[in-house]
Order: sequence, then structure tokens, then C-alpha cells
Amino acid sequence: MTTPDLTTQDLLRARRTIQDPVLLEFAAEVGSSDPIVMVGGNTQSHLGGVADPNARSLRAPSGIVKYQPDEMTVCVRAATPVSELHAALSEHGQRTSLPDGTNLQGAVSSTVGGVIAVGRSPVTRLKDGHVRDAVLQLRYVAADGALVTAGGPTVKNVSGFDLCRIMVGSLGTLGCIADVILRTRPINRHERWLKMVDADPKAVLNNAKTAAAILWDGTVVWAQLVGHQADIESDQARLPTSSSALPPKLPPFRWSRRPKDLYQIGSEAGRFVAEIGVGVVHCEQPDPQGGKLSANVEALNRRVRDLFDPHRRFNPGRSVELL
Amino acid sequence: MKLRRLTKRNHQNSTNNDPCAADLQATLGDQRVHTDSAARHLASTDASIFTGGAAGIVCYPSTTEQVQAIMAVAIKHDRAVLPRGAGSGLSGGAAPLGNPIVVSTTRMNRVLEVDLEDRLAWVQPGVINLDLSKQTSPFGFHFAPDPSSQQVCTIGGNVANNSGGPHCLAYGVTSSHILALEVVLSSGEIVELGGLDSEPTGYDLRGAFVGSEGMFGITTKIAVRLTPNPESVKTLMLSFDTVTDAAATVSAVIASGLVPAAIEMLDRNCVAAVESFVHAGFPTDAAAVLIIEVDGLSAGVSADATKVAEVAQTHGATVRVAANEDERALWWKGRKSAFGAIARVAPDYYLHDTVVPRSKLVEVLEAVYEIAQRYDLTMLNVFHAGDGNLHPLMAYNSRQAGANERVAAASREILELSLAVGGVLSGEHGIGVEKRDFMTDQFTSADLAQQALLRTAFDPFCRLNPGKVLPAAHSCADIATLSAAHADGVWG
Amino acid sequence: MKISGSKPDAPAVAGVLGLDQTDLYSCVACGLCLPHCPTYRVTGADTHSPRGRIALMQVLDEGKTSLTTEIVEAFDTCIQCRGCETACPGDVPFGALMEASKEVIETTDRQTPWWLKTALRTITYPRLLRFGSSAVALAQRLRLLPPAFRGIPQRMPINRQQLQSSGDDVWLFTGCVMDAWQRNTHFATQQVIEATGISVRLSGDGAPCCGALHTHAGLGRQARKLANRVVSALPGDNPVLVNSAGCGAAMKSYGTLLNTAEARAFSARVLDIHEWLAERLNSLKPSNIAEHRQPPIKKRVAVQDPCHLRHVQGTHGAVREVLQPFVSELVDLDDDGMCCGAGGAFSALQPQLAAEVRNLKIAAINRANADLVVSANPGCAMYLAAGGVDVCHPMELIAQALNDG
Ligand SMILES: Cc1cc2nc3c(=O)[nH]c(=O)nc-3n(C[C@H](O)[C@H](O)[C@H](O)COP(=O)(O)OP(=O)(O)OC[C@H]3O[C@@H](n4cnc5c(N)ncnc54)[C@H](O)[C@@H]3O)c2cc1C
Ligand code: SF4
Ligand code: SF4
Repeated sequence: MTTPDLTTQDLLRARRTIQDPVLLEFAAEVGSSDPIVMVGGNTQSHLGGVADPNARSLRAPSGIVKYQPDEMTVCVRAATPVSELHAALSEHGQRTSLPDGTNLQGAVSSTVGGVIAVGRSPVTRLKDGHVRDAVLQLRYVAADGALVTAGGPTVKNVSGFDLCRIMVGSLGTLGCIADVILRTRPINRHERWLKMVDADPKAVLNNAKTAAAILWDGTVVWAQLVGHQADIESDQARLPTSSSALPPKLPPFRWSRRPKDLYQIGSEAGRFVAEIGVGVVHCEQPDPQGGKLSANVEALNRRVRDLFDPHRRFNPGRSVELL
Repeated sequence: MKLRRLTKRNHQNSTNNDPCAADLQATLGDQRVHTDSAARHLASTDASIFTGGAAGIVCYPSTTEQVQAIMAVAIKHDRAVLPRGAGSGLSGGAAPLGNPIVVSTTRMNRVLEVDLEDRLAWVQPGVINLDLSKQTSPFGFHFAPDPSSQQVCTIGGNVANNSGGPHCLAYGVTSSHILALEVVLSSGEIVELGGLDSEPTGYDLRGAFVGSEGMFGITTKIAVRLTPNPESVKTLMLSFDTVTDAAATVSAVIASGLVPAAIEMLDRNCVAAVESFVHAGFPTDAAAVLIIEVDGLSAGVSADATKVAEVAQTHGATVRVAANEDERALWWKGRKSAFGAIARVAPDYYLHDTVVPRSKLVEVLEAVYEIAQRYDLTMLNVFHAGDGNLHPLMAYNSRQAGANERVAAASREILELSLAVGGVLSGEHGIGVEKRDFMTDQFTSADLAQQALLRTAFDPFCRLNPGKVLPAAHSCADIATLSAAHADGVWG
Repeated sequence: MKISGSKPDAPAVAGVLGLDQTDLYSCVACGLCLPHCPTYRVTGADTHSPRGRIALMQVLDEGKTSLTTEIVEAFDTCIQCRGCETACPGDVPFGALMEASKEVIETTDRQTPWWLKTALRTITYPRLLRFGSSAVALAQRLRLLPPAFRGIPQRMPINRQQLQSSGDDVWLFTGCVMDAWQRNTHFATQQVIEATGISVRLSGDGAPCCGALHTHAGLGRQARKLANRVVSALPGDNPVLVNSAGCGAAMKSYGTLLNTAEARAFSARVLDIHEWLAERLNSLKPSNIAEHRQPPIKKRVAVQDPCHLRHVQGTHGAVREVLQPFVSELVDLDDDGMCCGAGGAFSALQPQLAAEVRNLKIAAINRANADLVVSANPGCAMYLAAGGVDVCHPMELIAQALNDG
């Protein structure tokens, strides 16, 4: 009783065959031999070392491929600016957890692919979670020029090993991201930024149940409260006296700390803004403790890169340890 | 036939003269190394219906060092190694192929540290999921992934399968709740993946390890994120006259911009089985029941609950709200006992775990019932509807001639159907051995080759849980590891 | 790879163990029972789990193996607490499967040690048990020695008077071990029953032992003999009240054990003292219950549910109901009614495993932070007391409250 249903088989085959001419063209452009540097919005190209100037530079395709508001997913090409994506999603009251700069002063024109390659979450991580958790499927061109699908289009998926996770935050050193399917989420019903001078950041963390972000620069605490209006208001009543304010401008470098170690940050950091409850510290200088890995883990990282890109085609000169 | 008496000869067992067993016993002591046929037979299956090989030797370490010592012996004797948690997996992940050394983590069951300030806990892999939440609950925290098997499954198993659960709709699956992992690699090295700081350096090897189904390493220590218990919870039981109405309600709720903590569906057959166990007042006359839970802060929760009820009523639902915590607990007990309650229906069950786009739920469910009817199988549906994660469950009797064949044929149709509408093979149970040979239906060989690279980076020797997940053409030297014949002394 | 259990058209007739085939294969191996099994909790071994034990019954029954030391050990280490049975959503009758398996194993291969057999014979001779010094020695071996002998203080003075019937409204089953060592529990029980205005007829030496321990050891023949004796010693229609959860469970199943109309009628009369009392709380002298705004016993009391009350009889709720009016604070343990390790003769047969199971229970008791523990089964009470737990029977607590009030 196993006569194959032709239409099903056809659908299956079609599903596995990537037909999008834009992707095929991109794959051909990436090719399978020479060194390549991928450029995104160029907002974070200082990260992870300096790319080899002789490498061919390449831009991924852009544009929204398919937005399904009812499924809460969107398929978008890598070079699409996050702000453009969010503008389209907002028409259906949705957004993604990718940082788009709207929560912070100053416009950021980062691209979807760039944000994913860097893998850094927005300051609203307390509510929005990690960027990597928003990535459902990712198509990339591997070092041998093959178009590869990692993950799957549904909101839940454990079919096979998790290539998406290893790609997020890999600085484009393992493959050239072509397009991604992202989980969308409803735009916050209400949100407001508050400023509390001389407040205890720990107390704010423990009391602000609606907080999506709590920032602290050593004296001032900023918090973004999101959710139902009444819940925000009862939160605000529990907090020290506050006034509404815009969030602070963030210094360019990120230090990675345990959340509970933030309160001890002292003058060595210079001017800083710390993400309370998360552990990221935005500083004026690079992290003196950054980039250290145990020998075993470093070897494992190297093995991953050696296997995925044996000839160091992708972003030569940059590496995740230098991130 | 009569039961044969215990004889001296029976004291011996076939692996007694296995030099590998002798080395393990010398290193770990007899109590931690079981070589008898009973122990090996029982470590040859999990909660699925798959068997292949048999456990060669079963070890019960308590510490990371003991796991490392086992790996050293395995390397010396070139043996495969299979980590095993509670054996509640449903895809044959912990069912050995060949005859590996099975490393049971059930004695690695200590909660090592609870850090409430950083909202995390370090646990050994054998800690039972629900035990951790029970232990942290008095302090106002829990471990969010809540597989329906949470009373039995281990956190190590959750990590290996990237398990989900009803509440993962809002809180995310296991991967979102794992901060760091201590892992013993097949080389015997110990690595710490991820970290407790906000942005650990390097590739996200932690993320790669989660969901690796015992094939990348044995995790021996896990830092999990603890989630604050919600301030307020409302649980609704919605009953419908048709499965279609229920499925349409799921899409409508999601489309209305709500993100409930959980949306679970049970169909009529399932409600009947469950109700006779829990007596929780599940409506046995309904065609389908949805359990929808909203949680969070009180104002938001009551607004959301009202909205859910409104949406459901426009689809013809009868709405009940759990009156108190006891009733709520009973409803969940019912939901989470569903697979076990199948024992009331038939002695065997087999279920799938595909995910389909939510908008296809109605179409797929109808097709699934039709497939079951065509193959003369009892079909029950109980699943994580909010994610589109189906669990079409076939209840049957494997002792009936031809039953296995009918189940296998129906399974193939269900899997292909799910993929054809844009779904995936597995939402949370993993590929294991069950869906291994279907991987080529979802992925191209280029995709699978990249997955194999990841495996190779972690386990170049293909020593760990060989033969799983990747179809034969993509599983490096797994075949060689498996070549050892079916072990003697274990009953098939 | 193959799908396991492919046994095309396997015969529906009984196999080697003679087990009911539907029951034997009703387990779907989901594993939900595992964490509720005390022995699995202690050792983490599948051979010590309900799912594993059922799988071993299957291979034995199918004739795939003869007995091995390890299989016998897997069965011997089962406390027969039936925690797995309550946990199983599929209603797998584990207790019945295990009892039947044990009986076949026992007849095939003598498993029960000589001293246990002697002890089990002794407890059917009440006088011998009460006065014989050899009985004390055996009891020591059985770990059934009452706390008093080990210097653990008693909450109620041991009443040295003879128990005496006060009428014949109800039977009170006095049993064997308990009558000998815990007569104060019987006094308390009798006192509470009488406080409701009901007179008590004691079962006495004619019904010396319920046979539960014999059933557990696989000594089916003796168990049936004892059951017959008990049935004929307690004639009439009046309720038979039992204050030992283990005995009550056994007597409620005489119907199935003996499979006679008479036995079934008898079993229907058997009631655990708490379930009986819960229906009559209002008839306790009003001064003792209603007028007390404040419960007379100002203690935080933890309820330890004996397995044979919770998992077999399912009447553990009644213990809380009857205690509520008398105790200021009642708390449940957080272990879902896990066994304490006593398990009839289990603690004597598997002392080390039993002690580890008890350690889990003691940890749960400590987490409950209670002043006192009540247990409705004397075997559990004594075993816990021997582990240093302050424990008494619920009836003793109620009797004390009635006396104080
Ligand atoms: C009644 C029932 C309900 C279920 N409900 C759900 C559900 O709602 N959601 C869900 O996601 N799953 C569910 N499952 C499936 C199963 O419980 C989960 O997959 C669970 O995480 C498995 O855990 P375990 O400890 O039993 O692992 P096992 O079954 O013992 O092993 C599973 C896999 O993990 C590997 N593994 C175990 N420990 C380690 C370790 N320390 N290091 C590396 N690898 C390891 C094994 O090799 C194997 O590949 C259910 C199962 C049952 C029987
Ligand atoms: S009766 Fe008790 S000890 Fe025996 S398997 Fe069941 S739970 Fe475990
Ligand atoms: S006895 Fe019941 S709970 Fe235990 S594995 Fe079998 S079906 Fe599941």
C-alpha cells in the first residue's frame, strides 16, 4: 500500500529545490573559490577584526520575500534594512526581536543579515529575548557554493542539527546568509521609557515586572516598561520617582558580564551604560577581558571553522574570538 | 512451557568476559557497571516503539569524572557510547544501534547550585525536569520548558532533544533556557559551552549542542535559566462541536495579536481516554477541546482571557474557566497524561510530531483522520496547537497480524503530507532513528552534508549514539561503529 | 531498525507466568510511573522501575529467558507499594501482575528465606507472638520491633489492660503484629469508635492474620488459608473496621483472592477506620468537635500516606478529613505519596534499599517542617520511628484530643 501520491511527491521535491532566481544568482556570485567579504549596513563592520582588503566584497540580496501575519513569520532577504522590515510588519501590528535602533537615539541602518551575523540582541532583551531565538530558517551559500537550508519555516522545529544557531553570531565566517525566516511578534500594546535618578538598579530589576529594558550608567536608571497599561502603571507606582525620558545614547563597545557583576563596574570602564538583568555593558573602550576561551573550546571553535570553510573564503581576517 | 529454575549458569552473563566491561568495573566499581541481560535488555528501548541493537554494557556514573573515565575506556576499546536519561524519548534516540556502552545519567541527579540573583541553576543532567521546578517554586521560579513528560524526563534529555512543552508557545523551547553546558566530548576532553555572561565569546556551540540527540557529547552539568512564576494565570477550557472550529479558533487567537502561554488541543477520542483517568470534567461529548492558558501580570491576563473567550465564542465554543489552582492542575494533569492514557485504548501507540503552518491545521487534521480511516487505525489527536505542532497518535495492537505494516504506511503518508504543506518532520521529539530515513524528504544532500560537518566538529570519531538523525550516506564513520554484531545474551 | 514487539498473531493464551495477556501488554512503556517508584528513585536503574519490571515479566512470560539472578532481584526489590499503579494513566494493574509473577517464581524457585517463613508462620499464632521470646528475636529480624523497645518515647502510655469488646455494632480487626506491639493504637481506635456511640467487637485470635505479607512474598497458598480463616471468624453483616492500611487493603481484596461469593460479601464490609469515621464525624460527642473554635492539638502535623491506603484503597483523603477538626495545621508531604520503605517485610528482606527509600521520605518530612507525623499504618509508623521520626497513628491523636477536650 505504498503507491506514492504523485502530487505529494511533487510538492516534496519542489520544496527541496530552491527556485528563487535571486538566490540562485547570489549563489553563483558567491561561487566556490575566492575570498569574499560580505557587507551589510556597515554599522558593525569594525567587529571581529579587519577583513582582508583584497577579498572581493559582496552584498546579499534584499527585499521581503513572504510575510504571513497570521503565521507570525516573515521571510526576508539578508540585505534588507531592519527598519524597512519593521515598517512593513508594523502595518499588521507586528515586529521582530531584531534591534532596529528605534528604541535608542540615532538611526541605525543595519541589515537583517548583518544583525544575524553579529548575533547581538537589542537592549530590550528582558522581554524580547535573544536574536537567535527569532531565527527559524536560514538559507546560506556554503564554502563550496551550495545553497543550504538550515532550520525550517515553522515556529517550532527540531528536525536535524541546529545549523541556525551556529550561523547566528558567526560573523559571516561560516557561510553567506541569503535569506531568513523570522518569527514575528505583536508590537507592544503600550510602552514607555522612564528615567530614575540615583535609583538602585537592583531594586528596579526586582520591582519592574513589565520591564523590557533596564539601563544604568552608575547614577541614572532608565527603564522601558511594556504591556498592558494598568500593569505598567502599577509597576511605575512600585518604582522610585521617575520622569519620562528617552534612553541614553550607547557607547560603541560591548562588554559581556554576568548580570550580578554589573553593580561592581567602576571607573575602569569609563562612561558606561549597563543592561541590568542581562549583563551587557556598553563602554567607550573594548573589553579588556574579552575574547578569552579555554584551549579546548578554542580548538572546537577552530574545528568548526575549518570544516565549514577550510580555505577561509568567508570574511578572511575576521573571527568570532575577536568579536 | 514452564518457567525454568534459577541455575548457577544463569548467574553468568555474556559480557562477563568482555575486557571493556572488566575495565569499566575496575574503574567505576561493580555497582556502577551492569552487564547482565536484564539491565541490557531494559536499556535497549525508550518510550518509542523502536529497537535496533542492544545495550552492550550499562553504566551509572554520578560525576563528570566518572563519565570521562567511561569515555577513556570506550576509546581504549573502540566502543560506541550512548547517553541515556529517563528513556522517555519518543523517536528512539536512546534506543541503541549496535551494542554501545550506555551511560545512564539517572544517578547524576543533583541540583548543584541555585543562583536566584542571576536567575539560574546548575544541575546535573539526570535531574528530573519537574523536580527542579518543584525545588525552585517556593522561591518564585521555575524551569520553563515543560514537556508533557516533565514528571519523568531529565534535563539532559531535554537539552539533547531541545524539548518543548505546552508553555513553550510563549516561553520558547529548551534552547532559550540553557545558558551553559559542561560536556564530555568523544575525545574525552571536557569543554564548557556557552557561559553565564551575557554574550559568551565564539560560535554558539551551546546552541549547536542543544538538540544534538546524544551525538555531540555527553552533557554532565547544565546551567539553566530560571523563569519567574507568573503573578497571575487564567486557564480556559473551550469545547467545540467540530475539530474545524477548534482549529480555526487557534488561528484566530494568534491572529488577534495575543500570545497565550499555551494552546493545547485534544480531540474526542483523546478526551475520553484522559477523562477516565483524571475525572476532571473534560467534556466527553465535544468533538475537540482546547486548553488555552494566559499568564503574566493581572491586568493583562484578565484582558487577554476575555479576548480569548470572545474569539472562541464567535467560533461556537463553550467556555469554562478553571475555578481555582486545583482545577487548573487537574486539567493539566489530564493533558499531560494523554499518551499514557492510551493504554486504556490499545496496547501500543505510535505518534508523529510534525509541525505545520497554523493556517493548514484544519486541512491537515482532516487528512490525518482520513488516512487513519483508510488504514483502519484508531486515531487520537492531542497536541500543541498554538505552534501547529501535531501529535497524530495511532493506537493499535502490534500483536495483530499486519498492524505494524499499516502503521508504517499511514506514518509515511502523514509525514509526507506535513512536509508537502510546508511543515517539518519534528517539532520537539527529535529525529532519532524514527525519522532518520525521512530526512532526505525535508533536506537536500547539501543541507545534510552541512549538518554532518557540525557533528564531525564535535565528534570526529562518530563514537556517540552512532547511526541516528542523519541518513546513512551522511553519517561519516557511523556505519563502522555499528558493525559489531547484535550482542549475545539479550532477548530480542 | 525494526519496530519492537512485532509478534504477528501471538497467541492470546497465557504464557509461562500465566499472566493475563491483556493486562501484561497494557503497558505502553511511557515511563510516567518511573518517578513515583521508590526503588527507581533510589537506584536509577531500569531493573528497579515499574516499566522495567513489566518488561521483564513479558520476556519471562514469552519464554525468552529462564530466571536469572538479576531478574529475581528485580522482582525481590519491588516493594509492592503500587505507587506506580496510581501514577499510571493507563490503568495497568501492576499489583496483580506482580503478585501473580511472584507466586510463580516462588513455586519455581524458593526465594523466601527460612527466617521470614518462620516469622510468617509465627504471626499466625497470636499467643506465640505475644509471649514467645523467639518471637521477639524474629521481630527484631523483621524490624518490626516497636519503638518502645528501642528507647523511643511513646506519646501515649502503653495501656497494659486487655482489650475488651463493648458490644457488636462493628468489628474491629486487631490482626497479628499490630495487636502484639501496638495495642495502644487499638485502644485509641476503640475509644474513638465508641465516642461516636457505636459499640465495638474485637476480632480476636480467631482471625489471627490478614495474610498480606504472605501474598507479597508469593506464598499464595498460606495467604488464601488465612483469608478463609478471617472470613469465617467475622460473620454477620456488620462493618469490619481496620486501622492498619496494609491489612485493610488485603481484606478488601479477599473477594478477588478467594473468588467466592462469601469472600466478596466479606470484602464489601471491610472499611478503613478513617473512611468509616469520616462519615460520622458529626456523631463524635459534640463537645469534642463543634465547640472547639481552636483545634485542641496545636501542632503542625504532616500526613504520611501509607501506600496501601493511598495507592491501593484510595481512602487517604479521609485521614485528612477526620484529623482536620482536631489539629491546628495539617500539611501534605511533597512526594506524591511515595513509599516509606517499610513495605511489610520488605525492610527486613532488603534492609539497605529500604533504608535509602526511608531517607527520601525523611527528607520530605523535613521539608514539610512538621512537629509530628501521622501514619495510618503501624508498619510504616514503626519503620519511620526506627529512623528517628516522631510519628503516631491518627487515631491516637484523635483519642488524645477527645481526652484533652
Ligand atoms: C508521555 C510523554 C509525553 C511527552 N511529551 C513531550 C512534550 O510535550 N514535549 C517534548 O518535547 N517531548 C515530549 N516527550 C518526549 C521526551 O519526554 C522528551 O524528548 C525528553 O526530553 C526526553 O528526556 P529523557 O530524559 O527521557 O531522555 P532519553 O529518552 O533517555 O534520551 C533522549 C535523547 O537524549 C540523549 N541524552 C540523554 N541524556 C543526555 C546527556 N546527558 N547528554 C547528551 N545526550 C543525552 C539520548 O542519547 C537520546 O538521544 C514525551 C514523552 C512521553 C513518553
Ligand atoms: S510497586 Fe512500588 S516498588 Fe514496585 S514497581 Fe511499583 S512503585 Fe516500584
Ligand atoms: S505502567 Fe503505566 S505509567 Fe508505567 S510505563 Fe506502563 S503505561 Fe506508562
